[in-house]
Amino acid sequence: MTQPTHLYTLCRISHYYGSKKVLDIDEFSIPAGTILGLSGPNGSGKTTLLKLLAFAIAPSHGEIRFNGRREYPMSARVRSKVTLMTQTPYLLKRSVLDNVVYGLKIRKDTKKLKQRAGRALAAVGLDFDTFHNRAWHQLSGGEAQRVALAARLILEPRALLLDEPVASVDAESALLIRQASLAARDKWGCTLIIVSHDLAWLNAVSDTRVSMEKGRIFSTHKEIVLPPPYQTIQTDSTANWVLPISSGRHISLPDKTGETALISADKIKIIQTSENQSDERNRIPVLVTSMALEPKTGDIEVDFDADTFRLTLLLSKEQAGALNMQPGKKSTLVFRTQDIFWR
Amino acid sequence: MAFLIEGFLRAMELLLSGDTSTWSAVSATVKASTGSMLVSLLTGLPCGFILGYFDFRFKRPIRTLLDTLLALPTVCVGLIVYAFISSKGPLGDMNLLFTLTGIAVGQTILAFPVVTAITASIIENIDPALKLTLVSLGAGKKNIILTCLWEVRFGILAAAVTAYGRILTEVGISMIVGGNIKYHTRTMTTAIALETNKGMFADGIALGIVLMAIAFAVNLSLSFLRKR
Repeated sequence: MTQPTHLYTLCRISHYYGSKKVLDIDEFSIPAGTILGLSGPNGSGKTTLLKLLAFAIAPSHGEIRFNGRREYPMSARVRSKVTLMTQTPYLLKRSVLDNVVYGLKIRKDTKKLKQRAGRALAAVGLDFDTFHNRAWHQLSGGEAQRVALAARLILEPRALLLDEPVASVDAESALLIRQASLAARDKWGCTLIIVSHDLAWLNAVSDTRVSMEKGRIFSTHKEIVLPPPYQTIQTDSTANWVLPISSGRHISLPDKTGETALISADKIKIIQTSENQSDERNRIPVLVTSMALEPKTGDIEVDFDADTFRLTLLLSKEQAGALNMQPGKKSTLVFRTQDIFWR
Repeated sequence: MAFLIEGFLRAMELLLSGDTSTWSAVSATVKASTGSMLVSLLTGLPCGFILGYFDFRFKRPIRTLLDTLLALPTVCVGLIVYAFISSKGPLGDMNLLFTLTGIAVGQTILAFPVVTAITASIIENIDPALKLTLVSLGAGKKNIILTCLWEVRFGILAAAVTAYGRILTEVGISMIVGGNIKYHTRTMTTAIALETNKGMFADGIALGIVLMAIAFAVNLSLSFLRKR
Protein backbone atom coordinates (compact mmCIF):
# COMPACT_ATOMS: atom_id res chain seq x y z
CA MET A 1 0.00 0.00 0.00
CA THR A 2 1.38 3.40 -0.94
CA GLN A 3 1.66 6.09 1.70
CA PRO A 4 -0.53 9.15 1.16
CA THR A 5 1.49 12.15 0.01
CA HIS A 6 -0.30 14.40 2.46
CA LEU A 7 0.29 13.78 6.14
CA TYR A 8 -2.58 16.05 7.13
CA THR A 9 -5.77 16.86 5.29
CA LEU A 10 -8.25 19.25 6.87
CA CYS A 11 -11.80 19.23 5.52
CA ARG A 12 -14.40 21.89 6.35
CA ILE A 13 -12.86 22.65 9.74
CA SER A 14 -14.44 25.21 12.00
CA HIS A 15 -13.78 25.68 15.66
CA TYR A 16 -15.55 27.80 18.25
CA TYR A 17 -14.67 29.07 21.73
CA GLY A 18 -18.14 29.64 23.11
CA SER A 19 -19.99 31.41 20.32
CA LYS A 20 -16.83 32.91 18.82
CA LYS A 21 -15.60 31.27 15.64
CA VAL A 22 -11.82 31.05 15.81
CA LEU A 23 -11.08 28.74 12.89
CA ASP A 24 -12.68 28.43 9.50
CA ILE A 25 -10.72 26.29 7.07
CA ASP A 26 -12.45 24.84 4.07
CA GLU A 27 -9.70 22.58 2.79
CA PHE A 28 -6.02 22.44 3.61
CA SER A 29 -3.38 19.76 3.15
CA ILE A 30 0.14 19.45 4.48
CA PRO A 31 2.50 17.25 2.49
CA ALA A 32 4.55 14.68 4.41
CA GLY A 33 8.16 15.61 5.10
CA THR A 34 7.78 19.35 4.64
CA ILE A 35 8.41 22.22 7.00
CA LEU A 36 5.41 24.51 7.01
CA GLY A 37 5.83 28.00 8.45
CA LEU A 38 2.71 29.56 9.88
CA SER A 39 2.49 33.26 10.69
CA GLY A 40 -0.23 35.75 11.46
CA PRO A 41 -1.33 38.29 14.02
CA ASN A 42 -2.24 37.40 17.61
CA GLY A 43 -5.67 35.83 17.84
CA SER A 44 -5.66 34.68 14.23
CA GLY A 45 -6.07 31.02 15.25
CA LYS A 46 -2.53 29.70 14.87
CA THR A 47 -2.27 28.07 18.30
CA THR A 48 -5.77 26.61 18.02
CA LEU A 49 -4.83 25.12 14.65
CA LEU A 50 -1.70 23.56 16.17
CA LYS A 51 -3.77 22.05 19.00
CA LEU A 52 -6.13 20.55 16.43
CA LEU A 53 -3.23 19.18 14.41
CA ALA A 54 -1.75 17.75 17.62
CA PHE A 55 -5.10 16.05 18.30
CA ALA A 56 -5.12 17.72 21.69
CA ILE A 57 -8.62 19.05 20.99
CA ALA A 58 -11.30 18.09 18.49
CA PRO A 59 -12.64 20.62 15.99
CA SER A 60 -16.20 21.82 16.56
CA HIS A 61 -16.99 20.78 12.99
CA GLY A 62 -15.16 19.03 10.17
CA GLU A 63 -12.58 16.30 10.03
CA ILE A 64 -8.82 16.00 10.22
CA ARG A 65 -7.19 13.19 8.30
CA PHE A 66 -3.78 12.03 9.39
CA ASN A 67 -1.94 9.79 6.98
CA GLY A 68 -5.14 9.40 5.00
CA ARG A 69 -7.27 8.34 7.94
CA ARG A 70 -9.73 10.37 10.01
CA GLU A 71 -8.34 10.72 13.52
CA TYR A 72 -9.54 11.97 16.88
CA PRO A 73 -7.96 13.25 20.13
CA MET A 74 -6.38 10.54 22.31
CA SER A 75 -6.41 8.08 19.42
CA ALA A 76 -3.66 5.53 20.04
CA ARG A 77 -2.69 5.69 16.35
CA VAL A 78 -1.70 9.36 16.46
CA ARG A 79 -0.66 9.69 20.11
CA SER A 80 2.77 8.29 19.45
CA LYS A 81 3.24 9.98 16.09
CA VAL A 82 2.39 13.63 16.68
CA THR A 83 3.90 15.91 19.27
CA LEU A 84 3.42 19.58 20.07
CA MET A 85 5.75 21.99 21.82
CA THR A 86 3.78 24.89 23.25
CA GLN A 87 4.93 28.49 23.31
CA THR A 88 5.86 28.30 26.99
CA PRO A 89 6.85 24.68 27.34
CA TYR A 90 5.90 22.99 30.59
CA LEU A 91 8.71 20.98 32.12
CA LEU A 92 7.73 18.25 34.53
CA LYS A 93 8.96 18.77 38.10
CA ARG A 94 11.81 16.33 37.68
CA SER A 95 15.34 16.23 36.32
CA VAL A 96 16.25 17.10 32.74
CA LEU A 97 16.88 13.41 31.98
CA ASP A 98 13.46 12.40 33.35
CA ASN A 99 11.83 15.14 31.29
CA VAL A 100 13.58 14.08 28.09
CA VAL A 101 12.78 10.36 28.44
CA TYR A 102 9.20 10.78 29.77
CA GLY A 103 7.59 10.15 26.37
CA LEU A 104 9.69 7.03 25.80
CA LYS A 105 8.88 5.66 29.25
CA ILE A 106 5.13 5.96 28.76
CA ARG A 107 5.58 4.15 25.45
CA LYS A 108 7.45 1.48 27.43
CA ASP A 109 10.39 2.00 25.10
CA THR A 110 13.15 1.93 27.69
CA LYS A 111 16.15 0.65 25.74
CA LYS A 112 19.35 2.71 26.05
CA LEU A 113 17.48 5.65 27.51
CA LYS A 114 20.59 7.55 28.58
CA GLN A 115 22.31 7.25 25.21
CA ARG A 116 19.19 8.36 23.36
CA ALA A 117 18.66 11.23 25.78
CA GLY A 118 22.29 12.22 25.23
CA ARG A 119 21.76 12.32 21.47
CA ALA A 120 18.51 14.31 21.80
CA LEU A 121 20.14 16.82 24.13
CA ALA A 122 23.15 17.11 21.82
CA ALA A 123 20.82 17.84 18.90
CA VAL A 124 19.63 20.95 20.73
CA GLY A 125 23.12 21.92 21.86
CA LEU A 126 22.97 20.74 25.49
CA ASP A 127 25.73 18.64 27.02
CA PHE A 128 24.34 15.47 28.61
CA ASP A 129 26.86 15.35 31.48
CA THR A 130 26.24 18.97 32.40
CA PHE A 131 22.48 18.95 32.17
CA HIS A 132 20.98 15.51 32.71
CA ASN A 133 20.87 15.76 36.50
CA ARG A 134 19.67 19.35 36.68
CA ALA A 135 16.25 19.98 38.14
CA TRP A 136 13.58 21.71 36.06
CA HIS A 137 13.97 24.94 38.03
CA GLN A 138 17.70 25.13 37.43
CA LEU A 139 17.34 25.95 33.73
CA SER A 140 17.23 29.28 31.94
CA GLY A 141 14.31 30.04 29.60
CA GLY A 142 16.31 29.09 26.52
CA GLU A 143 17.62 25.88 28.11
CA ALA A 144 14.09 24.89 29.19
CA GLN A 145 12.90 25.49 25.64
CA ARG A 146 15.66 23.26 24.27
CA VAL A 147 15.03 20.53 26.86
CA ALA A 148 11.36 20.57 25.84
CA LEU A 149 12.39 20.23 22.20
CA ALA A 150 14.79 17.37 23.05
CA ALA A 151 11.89 15.61 24.85
CA ARG A 152 10.01 15.69 21.55
CA LEU A 153 12.89 14.93 19.20
CA ILE A 154 13.76 11.76 21.14
CA LEU A 155 10.33 10.39 20.16
CA GLU A 156 11.20 10.75 16.45
CA PRO A 157 7.61 11.80 15.70
CA ARG A 158 6.09 11.86 12.23
CA ALA A 159 4.76 15.35 12.91
CA LEU A 160 6.41 17.91 15.14
CA LEU A 161 4.39 21.03 15.88
CA LEU A 162 6.25 23.99 17.32
CA ASP A 163 4.44 27.04 18.69
CA GLU A 164 6.74 30.08 18.81
CA PRO A 165 9.86 28.00 19.47
CA VAL A 166 12.20 31.01 19.33
CA ALA A 167 9.97 33.61 20.98
CA SER A 168 12.02 33.80 24.18
CA VAL A 169 15.44 32.48 23.24
CA ASP A 170 18.70 34.11 22.22
CA ALA A 171 20.12 34.02 18.70
CA GLU A 172 22.31 30.99 19.45
CA SER A 173 19.38 28.96 20.79
CA ALA A 174 17.28 30.03 17.78
CA LEU A 175 19.99 28.73 15.46
CA LEU A 176 20.22 25.42 17.36
CA ILE A 177 16.44 24.99 17.28
CA ARG A 178 16.49 25.64 13.55
CA GLN A 179 19.27 23.11 12.98
CA ALA A 180 17.47 20.51 15.13
CA SER A 181 14.24 21.07 13.19
CA LEU A 182 15.95 20.64 9.84
CA ALA A 183 17.79 17.54 11.10
CA ALA A 184 14.47 15.98 12.23
CA ARG A 185 13.09 16.42 8.72
CA ASP A 186 16.25 15.13 7.03
CA LYS A 187 16.89 12.16 9.38
CA TRP A 188 13.46 10.57 9.70
CA GLY A 189 11.27 12.57 7.35
CA CYS A 190 9.52 14.44 10.12
CA THR A 191 6.86 16.90 9.03
CA LEU A 192 7.21 20.16 10.93
CA ILE A 193 4.57 22.83 11.36
CA ILE A 194 6.07 25.88 12.96
CA VAL A 195 4.31 29.00 14.21
CA SER A 196 6.48 32.05 14.64
CA HIS A 197 6.34 35.82 14.59
CA ASP A 198 10.04 35.89 13.70
CA LEU A 199 9.51 35.93 9.95
CA ALA A 200 13.21 35.93 9.09
CA TRP A 201 13.76 32.81 11.21
CA LEU A 202 10.60 31.22 9.81
CA ASN A 203 11.75 31.91 6.25
CA ALA A 204 15.10 30.32 6.99
CA VAL A 205 13.61 27.11 8.33
CA SER A 206 10.43 26.50 6.35
CA ASP A 207 9.82 25.08 2.89
CA THR A 208 6.36 26.61 2.58
CA ARG A 209 4.80 29.60 4.32
CA VAL A 210 1.17 30.28 5.00
CA SER A 211 -0.39 33.02 7.04
CA MET A 212 -3.54 33.14 9.12
CA GLU A 213 -6.03 35.91 9.57
CA LYS A 214 -9.30 35.64 11.51
CA GLY A 215 -9.10 31.85 11.58
CA ARG A 216 -8.46 31.44 7.86
CA ILE A 217 -5.37 30.28 6.02
CA PHE A 218 -3.85 32.27 3.17
CA SER A 219 -0.82 31.75 0.98
CA THR A 220 1.87 34.05 2.30
CA HIS A 221 3.34 36.42 -0.29
CA LYS A 222 0.71 35.47 -2.87
CA GLU A 223 -2.48 36.70 -1.28
CA ILE A 224 -2.50 39.86 0.80
CA VAL A 225 -5.23 40.13 3.40
CA LEU A 226 -6.97 43.47 3.75
CA PRO A 227 -8.27 42.82 7.24
CA PRO A 228 -11.64 43.94 8.65
CA PRO A 229 -13.44 45.96 9.99
CA TYR A 230 -15.14 46.93 6.73
CA GLN A 231 -17.75 49.66 6.43
CA THR A 232 -20.25 50.89 3.91
CA ILE A 233 -20.35 54.49 2.76
CA GLN A 234 -23.16 56.12 0.86
CA THR A 235 -22.24 57.62 -2.50
CA ASP A 236 -25.08 59.00 -4.61
CA SER A 237 -27.73 56.33 -4.33
CA THR A 238 -25.46 53.33 -3.73
CA ALA A 239 -23.72 51.94 -0.66
CA ASN A 240 -20.08 51.05 -1.28
CA TRP A 241 -17.90 48.83 0.84
CA VAL A 242 -14.66 50.35 2.12
CA LEU A 243 -11.80 49.55 4.45
CA PRO A 244 -11.05 52.68 6.49
CA ILE A 245 -7.37 53.51 6.85
CA SER A 246 -5.62 56.46 8.49
CA SER A 247 -6.51 60.16 8.21
CA GLY A 248 -10.07 59.68 6.98
CA ARG A 249 -8.89 57.76 3.89
CA HIS A 250 -10.25 54.43 2.85
CA ILE A 251 -9.68 51.58 0.44
CA SER A 252 -12.58 51.05 -1.94
CA LEU A 253 -13.72 47.46 -2.02
CA PRO A 254 -15.89 45.60 -4.51
CA ASP A 255 -19.36 44.42 -3.48
CA LYS A 256 -19.05 42.16 -0.46
CA THR A 257 -19.31 38.52 -1.35
CA GLY A 258 -17.24 36.98 1.45
CA GLU A 259 -15.84 37.63 4.91
CA THR A 260 -12.29 38.69 4.12
CA ALA A 261 -11.01 41.02 1.41
CA LEU A 262 -7.85 39.89 -0.40
CA ILE A 263 -5.67 40.97 -3.24
CA SER A 264 -3.00 39.09 -5.15
CA ALA A 265 0.44 40.40 -4.33
CA ASP A 266 1.29 40.79 -8.01
CA LYS A 267 -1.56 43.29 -8.41
CA ILE A 268 0.03 45.72 -5.97
CA LYS A 269 2.39 48.37 -7.24
CA ILE A 270 4.83 50.15 -4.98
CA ILE A 271 5.60 53.75 -5.85
CA GLN A 272 7.69 56.49 -4.27
CA THR A 273 5.55 58.79 -2.14
CA SER A 274 6.61 61.75 -4.24
CA GLU A 275 5.10 60.25 -7.39
CA ASN A 276 1.84 61.98 -8.11
CA GLN A 277 -0.71 60.07 -10.09
CA SER A 278 -4.30 60.99 -10.52
CA ASP A 279 -6.43 58.00 -11.31
CA GLU A 280 -9.09 55.99 -9.57
CA ARG A 281 -6.75 53.49 -8.00
CA ASN A 282 -6.46 52.90 -4.24
CA ARG A 283 -3.39 54.47 -2.67
CA ILE A 284 -2.19 53.45 0.77
CA PRO A 285 0.65 55.38 2.41
CA VAL A 286 2.93 52.81 4.11
CA LEU A 287 6.12 52.72 6.11
CA VAL A 288 8.76 50.02 5.62
CA THR A 289 9.21 48.50 9.08
CA SER A 290 11.57 45.60 8.40
CA MET A 291 13.24 43.66 5.63
CA ALA A 292 14.46 40.08 5.65
CA LEU A 293 16.27 37.92 3.15
CA GLU A 294 14.38 34.86 1.91
CA PRO A 295 17.40 32.53 1.86
CA LYS A 296 16.04 29.94 -0.54
CA THR A 297 15.15 32.37 -3.37
CA GLY A 298 17.30 35.37 -2.52
CA ASP A 299 14.19 37.58 -2.56
CA ILE A 300 13.58 40.28 0.00
CA GLU A 301 10.60 40.10 2.32
CA VAL A 302 9.44 43.64 3.12
CA ASP A 303 7.07 44.39 5.97
CA PHE A 304 4.89 47.47 5.54
CA ASP A 305 2.96 49.31 8.22
CA ALA A 306 -0.25 50.70 6.74
CA ASP A 307 -1.19 52.24 10.08
CA THR A 308 -4.36 50.21 10.65
CA PHE A 309 -2.85 46.94 9.44
CA ARG A 310 0.43 45.40 8.35
CA LEU A 311 1.29 43.52 5.21
CA THR A 312 4.27 41.73 3.77
CA LEU A 313 5.39 41.69 0.15
CA LEU A 314 8.14 39.69 -1.45
CA LEU A 315 10.34 41.72 -3.76
CA SER A 316 13.21 40.64 -5.97
CA LYS A 317 16.60 42.11 -5.12
CA GLU A 318 16.38 44.24 -8.24
CA GLN A 319 12.94 45.60 -7.33
CA ALA A 320 14.01 46.38 -3.78
CA GLY A 321 17.12 48.08 -5.09
CA ALA A 322 15.23 50.12 -7.68
CA LEU A 323 12.76 51.32 -5.08
CA ASN A 324 15.60 52.02 -2.67
CA MET A 325 13.76 50.04 0.00
CA GLN A 326 15.01 50.40 3.56
CA PRO A 327 13.38 50.31 6.98
CA GLY A 328 11.86 53.69 7.82
CA LYS A 329 11.23 54.60 4.18
CA LYS A 330 7.79 55.90 3.26
CA SER A 331 6.15 54.51 0.13
CA THR A 332 2.72 54.16 -1.38
CA LEU A 333 0.97 50.96 -2.39
CA VAL A 334 -1.30 51.31 -5.40
CA PHE A 335 -3.91 48.83 -6.60
CA ARG A 336 -7.26 48.70 -8.37
CA THR A 337 -10.51 47.97 -6.59
CA GLN A 338 -11.48 45.40 -9.22
CA ASP A 339 -8.38 43.35 -8.32
CA ILE A 340 -9.66 42.92 -4.77
CA PHE A 341 -11.70 39.80 -4.15
CA TRP A 342 -13.60 38.33 -1.22
CA ARG A 343 -13.26 34.97 0.45
CA MET B 1 4.12 27.53 87.23
CA ALA B 2 5.76 24.97 89.49
CA PHE B 3 3.09 22.38 88.82
CA LEU B 4 3.68 22.73 85.08
CA ILE B 5 7.41 22.06 85.49
CA GLU B 6 6.63 19.21 87.88
CA GLY B 7 4.15 17.87 85.33
CA PHE B 8 6.75 18.05 82.56
CA LEU B 9 9.33 16.14 84.64
CA ARG B 10 6.74 13.52 85.57
CA ALA B 11 5.81 13.25 81.90
CA MET B 12 9.41 12.48 80.97
CA GLU B 13 9.51 9.84 83.67
CA LEU B 14 6.27 8.22 82.42
CA LEU B 15 7.47 8.13 78.85
CA LEU B 16 10.98 6.92 79.56
CA SER B 17 9.86 4.26 82.03
CA GLY B 18 7.51 2.82 79.41
CA ASP B 19 4.33 3.43 81.40
CA THR B 20 1.81 0.98 79.95
CA SER B 21 -1.30 3.16 80.09
CA THR B 22 0.52 6.07 78.46
CA TRP B 23 2.01 3.98 75.68
CA SER B 24 -1.27 2.13 75.18
CA ALA B 25 -2.95 5.47 74.44
CA VAL B 26 -0.11 6.36 72.05
CA SER B 27 -0.46 3.01 70.30
CA ALA B 28 -4.28 3.31 70.00
CA THR B 29 -3.94 6.80 68.51
CA VAL B 30 -1.31 5.78 65.98
CA LYS B 31 -3.26 2.66 64.93
CA ALA B 32 -6.62 4.44 64.49
CA SER B 33 -5.17 7.50 62.79
CA THR B 34 -2.93 5.50 60.42
CA GLY B 35 -5.82 3.29 59.34
CA SER B 36 -8.16 6.23 58.79
CA MET B 37 -5.47 8.20 56.92
CA LEU B 38 -4.78 5.30 54.56
CA VAL B 39 -8.46 4.85 53.74
CA SER B 40 -9.13 8.58 53.35
CA LEU B 41 -6.10 8.97 51.05
CA LEU B 42 -7.04 5.95 48.95
CA THR B 43 -10.58 7.22 48.49
CA GLY B 44 -10.05 10.99 48.74
CA LEU B 45 -7.26 11.31 46.18
CA PRO B 46 -9.18 9.79 43.23
CA CYS B 47 -12.37 11.60 44.23
CA GLY B 48 -10.46 14.88 44.53
CA PHE B 49 -8.87 14.29 41.13
CA ILE B 50 -12.22 13.60 39.47
CA LEU B 51 -13.75 16.64 41.13
CA GLY B 52 -10.89 18.92 40.17
CA TYR B 53 -10.14 17.60 36.68
CA PHE B 54 -13.49 16.90 35.09
CA ASP B 55 -16.52 19.07 34.53
CA PHE B 56 -19.81 17.38 35.22
CA ARG B 57 -23.31 18.12 36.43
CA PHE B 58 -23.63 18.86 40.16
CA LYS B 59 -19.89 19.52 40.45
CA ARG B 60 -20.44 22.90 42.13
CA PRO B 61 -22.96 21.65 44.74
CA ILE B 62 -20.62 18.76 45.56
CA ARG B 63 -17.72 21.20 46.04
CA THR B 64 -19.88 23.36 48.28
CA LEU B 65 -20.90 20.33 50.33
CA LEU B 66 -17.30 19.20 50.66
CA ASP B 67 -16.16 22.67 51.69
CA THR B 68 -18.88 22.67 54.34
CA LEU B 69 -17.74 19.28 55.58
CA LEU B 70 -14.26 20.71 56.15
CA ALA B 71 -15.68 22.37 59.24
CA LEU B 72 -17.56 19.26 60.37
CA PRO B 73 -17.62 19.15 64.21
CA THR B 74 -16.01 15.96 65.44
CA VAL B 75 -18.75 15.34 67.99
CA CYS B 76 -21.32 15.38 65.17
CA VAL B 77 -19.32 12.75 63.27
CA GLY B 78 -19.02 10.76 66.49
CA LEU B 79 -22.75 11.01 67.05
CA ILE B 80 -23.64 9.93 63.50
CA VAL B 81 -21.17 7.02 63.51
CA TYR B 82 -22.43 6.00 66.96
CA ALA B 83 -26.02 6.02 65.66
CA PHE B 84 -25.04 3.76 62.78
CA ILE B 85 -22.84 1.26 64.63
CA SER B 86 -24.60 1.03 67.98
CA SER B 87 -26.54 -2.20 68.57
CA LYS B 88 -29.79 -0.50 67.45
CA GLY B 89 -28.17 1.08 64.36
CA PRO B 90 -28.22 -0.29 60.80
CA LEU B 91 -24.59 -1.43 61.09
CA GLY B 92 -24.91 -2.70 64.65
CA ASP B 93 -24.16 -6.28 63.63
CA MET B 94 -20.65 -5.31 62.65
CA ASN B 95 -19.72 -4.84 66.32
CA LEU B 96 -17.67 -1.72 65.65
CA LEU B 97 -18.81 0.25 68.70
CA PHE B 98 -16.07 0.81 71.27
CA THR B 99 -13.37 -0.51 68.94
CA LEU B 100 -10.39 1.16 67.27
CA THR B 101 -11.91 0.23 63.90
CA GLY B 102 -15.02 2.21 64.86
CA ILE B 103 -12.85 5.22 65.74
CA ALA B 104 -10.99 4.81 62.41
CA VAL B 105 -14.31 4.82 60.52
CA GLY B 106 -15.30 8.09 62.18
CA GLN B 107 -11.88 9.62 61.59
CA THR B 108 -12.03 8.58 57.93
CA ILE B 109 -15.30 10.49 57.59
CA LEU B 110 -13.52 13.46 59.15
CA ALA B 111 -10.41 13.26 56.94
CA PHE B 112 -12.08 12.35 53.62
CA PRO B 113 -13.51 15.83 52.89
CA VAL B 114 -10.16 17.44 53.78
CA VAL B 115 -8.17 15.20 51.41
CA THR B 116 -10.82 15.42 48.65
CA ALA B 117 -11.43 19.17 48.81
CA ILE B 118 -7.74 20.13 48.97
CA THR B 119 -6.81 17.66 46.20
CA ALA B 120 -9.65 19.02 44.02
CA SER B 121 -8.44 22.60 44.55
CA ILE B 122 -4.87 21.64 43.73
CA ILE B 123 -5.90 19.77 40.59
CA GLU B 124 -8.14 22.66 39.50
CA ASN B 125 -5.18 24.98 39.76
CA ILE B 126 -2.84 22.79 37.74
CA ASP B 127 -1.18 24.69 34.92
CA PRO B 128 -3.34 23.98 31.82
CA ALA B 129 -0.08 23.58 29.90
CA LEU B 130 0.63 20.38 31.87
CA LYS B 131 -2.25 18.42 30.37
CA LEU B 132 -1.47 19.70 26.89
CA THR B 133 2.18 18.74 27.38
CA LEU B 134 1.28 15.24 28.55
CA VAL B 135 -1.15 14.71 25.66
CA SER B 136 1.44 16.01 23.21
CA LEU B 137 4.04 13.62 24.62
CA GLY B 138 1.68 10.73 23.98
CA ALA B 139 0.29 10.11 27.48
CA GLY B 140 -2.92 8.13 27.77
CA LYS B 141 -5.63 8.76 30.37
CA LYS B 142 -3.95 6.66 33.07
CA ASN B 143 -0.60 8.36 32.57
CA ILE B 144 -2.23 11.80 32.57
CA ILE B 145 -3.87 11.09 35.95
CA LEU B 146 -0.74 9.61 37.53
CA THR B 147 1.59 12.29 36.19
CA CYS B 148 -0.75 15.10 37.22
CA LEU B 149 -0.91 13.69 40.76
CA TRP B 150 2.88 13.34 40.83
CA GLU B 151 3.32 16.91 39.59
CA VAL B 152 1.25 18.23 42.51
CA ARG B 153 2.70 15.81 45.03
CA PHE B 154 3.79 18.57 47.43
CA GLY B 155 0.28 20.00 47.52
CA ILE B 156 -1.14 16.53 48.11
CA LEU B 157 1.33 15.98 50.94
CA ALA B 158 0.06 19.22 52.46
CA ALA B 159 -3.50 17.89 52.12
CA ALA B 160 -2.45 14.67 53.87
CA VAL B 161 -0.76 16.58 56.69
CA THR B 162 -3.80 18.81 57.17
CA ALA B 163 -6.07 15.77 57.31
CA TYR B 164 -3.68 13.95 59.66
CA GLY B 165 -3.58 16.97 61.95
CA ARG B 166 -7.37 17.00 62.07
CA ILE B 167 -7.72 13.34 63.03
CA LEU B 168 -4.73 13.27 65.37
CA THR B 169 -6.20 16.05 67.46
CA GLU B 170 -9.88 15.11 67.47
CA VAL B 171 -11.58 14.10 70.74
CA GLY B 172 -15.28 13.83 69.90
CA ILE B 173 -15.17 10.71 67.73
CA SER B 174 -12.71 8.83 69.95
CA MET B 175 -14.75 9.66 73.02
CA ILE B 176 -18.22 8.83 71.64
CA VAL B 177 -17.41 5.93 69.32
CA GLY B 178 -14.40 4.53 71.20
CA GLY B 179 -15.77 5.00 74.69
CA ASN B 180 -12.35 5.91 76.15
CA ILE B 181 -11.73 2.36 77.40
CA LYS B 182 -8.33 2.07 79.09
CA TYR B 183 -5.82 -0.20 77.31
CA HIS B 184 -8.30 -0.63 74.47
CA THR B 185 -9.79 2.48 72.84
CA ARG B 186 -8.27 5.23 74.97
CA THR B 187 -6.44 7.56 72.59
CA MET B 188 -4.05 10.34 73.50
CA THR B 189 -6.64 13.09 73.19
CA THR B 190 -9.30 11.30 75.24
CA ALA B 191 -6.66 10.37 77.81
CA ILE B 192 -5.49 14.00 78.07
CA ALA B 193 -9.09 15.15 78.62
CA LEU B 194 -9.66 12.47 81.24
CA GLU B 195 -6.38 12.94 83.12
CA THR B 196 -6.82 16.72 83.18
CA ASN B 197 -10.33 16.31 84.60
CA LYS B 198 -8.84 14.04 87.29
CA GLY B 199 -6.15 16.63 88.06
CA MET B 200 -3.40 14.34 86.74
CA PHE B 201 -1.55 17.04 84.81
CA ALA B 202 1.66 15.03 84.44
CA ASP B 203 -0.08 12.26 82.50
CA GLY B 204 -1.85 14.83 80.36
CA ILE B 205 1.37 16.70 79.63
CA ALA B 206 3.18 13.44 78.81
CA LEU B 207 0.58 12.56 76.20
CA GLY B 208 0.55 16.13 74.96
CA ILE B 209 4.31 15.93 74.40
CA VAL B 210 3.95 12.70 72.40
CA LEU B 211 1.14 14.24 70.34
CA MET B 212 3.32 17.25 69.54
CA ALA B 213 6.29 14.97 68.79
CA ILE B 214 4.23 12.93 66.29
CA ALA B 215 3.03 16.12 64.56
CA PHE B 216 6.62 17.37 64.46
CA ALA B 217 7.94 14.06 63.09
CA VAL B 218 5.30 14.03 60.34
CA ASN B 219 6.17 17.58 59.29
CA LEU B 220 9.89 16.86 59.48
CA SER B 221 9.57 13.84 57.20
CA LEU B 222 7.49 15.88 54.77
CA SER B 223 10.09 18.60 54.74
CA PHE B 224 12.72 15.91 54.00
CA LEU B 225 10.61 14.54 51.14
CA ARG B 226 10.18 18.03 49.67
CA LYS B 227 13.93 18.52 49.61
CA ARG B 228 14.37 15.25 47.75
